[in-house]
Amino acid sequence: MTTRIEISADQATAHCRGRWTAPYLHAVDKQLASMNWPAGLTRFDLTGLEELDTVGAWLLHRTINQLNNAPGTPPNQIRIDGADQQVLSLLQLVKEKAAGAEQPRHPYQPGILENAGRHVVGQLRQYQEFLIFIGQLTLVAILVMLRPWRIRWPQVVAELQAAGVNALAIVGLLTFLIGIVIAYQGGVVLRDYGANIYVADIVGLSMVRELAPLITAIIIAGRTGSAYTAQIGTMMVTEEVDALRSIGISPLEMLALPKLIALVIALPLLTVFADAMGLFGGLIMANTMLGLNPTTFINRLAEALTLNSYLSGIGKAPVFAFIIVAVGCFQGFRVRGSAGSVGRQTTISVVQSIFLVIIVDAAFSIGFSKLGI
Amino acid sequence: MNTPTTACQTPTGTKHADVVLEGHKLSMSFGSRAVFKDIDVRVNHNEVLAIVGGSGSGKSTLMRQLALLQTPTSGSVTVFGTSVSDMDDVDTNTLRRRLGVMFQHGALFGDLTVLENICVPLQEHTDLSPHLIEQVAMVKVALAGLKADAAALYPSQLSGGMRKRAAVARGIALDPEVLFLDEPSSGLDPISADAMDELVLELKQTLGLTIVLVTHDMDSLWRIADRIVMLADGAIAAEGGIHELVESDNEVARQFFHSRRGRASGAMYDQ
Repeated sequence: MTTRIEISADQATAHCRGRWTAPYLHAVDKQLASMNWPAGLTRFDLTGLEELDTVGAWLLHRTINQLNNAPGTPPNQIRIDGADQQVLSLLQLVKEKAAGAEQPRHPYQPGILENAGRHVVGQLRQYQEFLIFIGQLTLVAILVMLRPWRIRWPQVVAELQAAGVNALAIVGLLTFLIGIVIAYQGGVVLRDYGANIYVADIVGLSMVRELAPLITAIIIAGRTGSAYTAQIGTMMVTEEVDALRSIGISPLEMLALPKLIALVIALPLLTVFADAMGLFGGLIMANTMLGLNPTTFINRLAEALTLNSYLSGIGKAPVFAFIIVAVGCFQGFRVRGSAGSVGRQTTISVVQSIFLVIIVDAAFSIGFSKLGI
Repeated sequence: MNTPTTACQTPTGTKHADVVLEGHKLSMSFGSRAVFKDIDVRVNHNEVLAIVGGSGSGKSTLMRQLALLQTPTSGSVTVFGTSVSDMDDVDTNTLRRRLGVMFQHGALFGDLTVLENICVPLQEHTDLSPHLIEQVAMVKVALAGLKADAAALYPSQLSGGMRKRAAVARGIALDPEVLFLDEPSSGLDPISADAMDELVLELKQTLGLTIVLVTHDMDSLWRIADRIVMLADGAIAAEGGIHELVESDNEVARQFFHSRRGRASGAMYDQ
């Protein structure tokens, strides 16, 4: 029998039929939404009821309650018939627990203006906290550097492996491909002028000064910075960070510092590797597309690349490393409460560190050009 | 209308055999380490079955197997008369809706409020309107003994006792026939633990639930357990009502109930 309410021919009785349980009640739910109750209704007949659960009991209770309290009708005019002991006790139970059910409670939702205000204050506070965090991290780093035997070398080595060695393949492949692309784009123009040899200048300068450090930092920010946030964030959720504090270990010294030392070593080395792979990509493309002899290419590189341009590229890497570690760990320590928070802070961490890396890179470019390097 | 406290009621129309859940020759091993072996266990309709045993005796694992959350290494589970091993995933998921679980630490979704947590199973498995779902969820909040205002809170804002109640509320969202409780009173203060026991009894009586629980709490055993299954050394060491076990000369039961805590609880219940 289908689950529904039927009004009898004399308009006085509502027959409840079928299985009034959660999986079947959507029909009754829809029916009730557009129901025109006859004015003379005095009886709910439950003899056709096959099954009743708390959802059905609530629906029945709510409906009868509404009818009883409808304006212009005598109160408590509805009678329930044909219910056995179990149905009655379930109805009674729901009636006892019904207080407050009509208005489901939701957390306070601030308006647009308040939201904007909260957001602005939250951001400002976050910048302030980030500055404080950088200060603390620097202080811890300096203090430990003064007592180098306190550096946790096993952890530094593990981080070097994770952030450096394990990233070689992806960094190498991507910069190799970018070397090829740059050589191709430059070569197309240079070939028209018969200036094929200068492809070495283009690839050399752009890779070594800008692209290799930047691409490497972006890959590491996405790959390793996110891992930092997720690791520390999960430790925040499981109270492991508090446990460290209770044992008397500074979480910064234990968690952030080994990462900082490892990445400040690993990122410049990865950048050197990226330089080499990028130039190699350029060399391959110059050879196949422009017919440039590898020896000629390398000789031209030696003339085009000064030590200054090489060092200005590598020199940015430790700064990028500091940014990635600082943002990654900072966002990790900001995780509060739940698994969802870990996800959110990890996203913020990657976006912020890539953003800051590019901003700082632009600042470097401006600075170098003013200094004439 | 009568008061809803007469024992052994069921929601109307549900047809039950007497045995609701049955585990046949259940075994669990991690690698070569066997936790338990060839355990036969049955859960009768509308009873409170307590699984007890020392730490590491596999009582939580046994409960998880009965709740279809973990596949036994060998053996089979029969739920409402059908063997689970013969079923595909779709059928098992349909069956899971008739089983509610309260996890030891609540396992509430941290990004959702209590109300939204309770709405999840209802939204997932019914076609009811969002408005009705929220109202039903509020009824469950009240059934689990929480104040209405608690529905708007996030799990991180709840105390331990409230979190367990919220977890119970989510467990009974779909009106399951069997409710599994993993250590319902652990980590609670004595007053909250007592209230939790009362809640279990109330759910059993008013909703006609069958309840399987894992506990260490002697007072809970005395107050609510109809039958106790005692695990030790990878097998069922003793089984029966609490008075039988206390008076039996079974070595494991004797140690358990004549421990200092066991004696203290027993004394309060005139044993």
